[in-house]
Amino acid sequence: MTQLSPSDLLLLHALADQELDAAAALALEARVAAEPALAAEYARILALKARTKALGKPAVSPDFAARIAALAQDAEPRPAARRARIFSFDHPSWRALAASVVLTAFLAGGGTYLFTAPQSEASIEDAVADGHHRALLAASPIDVQSSDRHTVKPWLDQKLGLSPPTADLAAQGFPLVGGRVEVIAGNPLPVLVYRRRQHLISVVAKPLPNGSVEAPASRTVDGYNMVSWAGGGFHYWAVSDLDPVELSNFVDNFRKQ
Amino acid sequence: MPGNEQAAELFRQIVVPHLADALALARWLTGSLHDAEDVVQEASIRAFTAINSYEGRGPRAWLLSIVRNTCFTWLAKNRPHEIVLVGSAAEMDGTELGLHEDPALDPEADMIRRADTAAVEAAIAALPQPYREVLVLHDINGLSYKEIAAMLSIPIGTVMSRLSRARRLIAAQIGREAP
Repeated sequence: MTQLSPSDLLLLHALADQELDAAAALALEARVAAEPALAAEYARILALKARTKALGKPAVSPDFAARIAALAQDAEPRPAARRARIFSFDHPSWRALAASVVLTAFLAGGGTYLFTAPQSEASIEDAVADGHHRALLAASPIDVQSSDRHTVKPWLDQKLGLSPPTADLAAQGFPLVGGRVEVIAGNPLPVLVYRRRQHLISVVAKPLPNGSVEAPASRTVDGYNMVSWAGGGFHYWAVSDLDPVELSNFVDNFRKQ
Repeated sequence: MPGNEQAAELFRQIVVPHLADALALARWLTGSLHDAEDVVQEASIRAFTAINSYEGRGPRAWLLSIVRNTCFTWLAKNRPHEIVLVGSAAEMDGTELGLHEDPALDPEADMIRRADTAAVEAAIAALPQPYREVLVLHDINGLSYKEIAAMLSIPIGTVMSRLSRARRLIAAQIGREAP
């Protein structure tokens, strides 16, 4: 069976769930019509969706509905003005909730901490991965389409008043396909988009106030591979569904330029 | 008191019509319809006492997020061993489970269509909790990616990967059980 790329899979699910915009949906539908592997997977997703939906919801017995409706007569809603009391620790449900939170935290133990703690520091990585993800879902992952770095660089310059060095890596198998602007943590940042076979690589560049240099570090964010490094006045994040080895290879070539 | 009358009316408009959705979510989060009724009753009381904080949009999503929270409180009290899954949601989103190497869905679409209801229900019940809740909220409750992302405080991309992963796990399970 042909292996579908992870982003194609997510797109197929989004298409089945009618969560794609019209342009992206049309483009994907055309690919589904042309590629049997996509069509088979799409048919399976639709069948599974239908099967799950057919399980339906439990019937609400008249007895139960009456019991719930009667709650409105017995209980007294908390007026909006007194809403602050919800946060009082005296309130029994909050005590129970707090106890359960403590219990959960205790039971889940240190493992959870390891997974959640880096995330809070890594919000910019999340934003970069989300941006890449959105770009893949959008009708076009690039705002300026050109394999010519002498087109992309001035375009970014004109938009943002800054542009990162735009490496030409076509000879190494990573042709430039264009650029876009992404707003990350409130800052509009230039993004260069390269291609490796069918995989897109987004390179986000954030200008650094100082000339600090950081060696490349790899990680996985939301299922995407990401390499970040700093040098030449910019902090870079390269994100892609490309496998980690090829992505590192790309980063090595990019840094040499 | 007129304020109470208004609140009772609001409760009848935004909670009572969505009881089937509330029961469906609670049934899949607690694993039993009987427990689901207890949880939904408790959630309805919470919804009523908090009805003045209802902001006037998405009544179903509003009620379901109360049901979800009530489920977790209930699970912590009644099934302290299972609540651990809630805490470990984060570790399931990475590639540790081989999301990238995930094979395509095993069985053919026809096989999925013919699968036993009991087999589909068992496959959903067997899903890890973070996948199960996204699948139920989307495919049974019919919430959008955006509504689920807001309710669970996770990025839309995570909703998408959990949902596709959940469906693939179910399909794989159906494929294994088919003769």
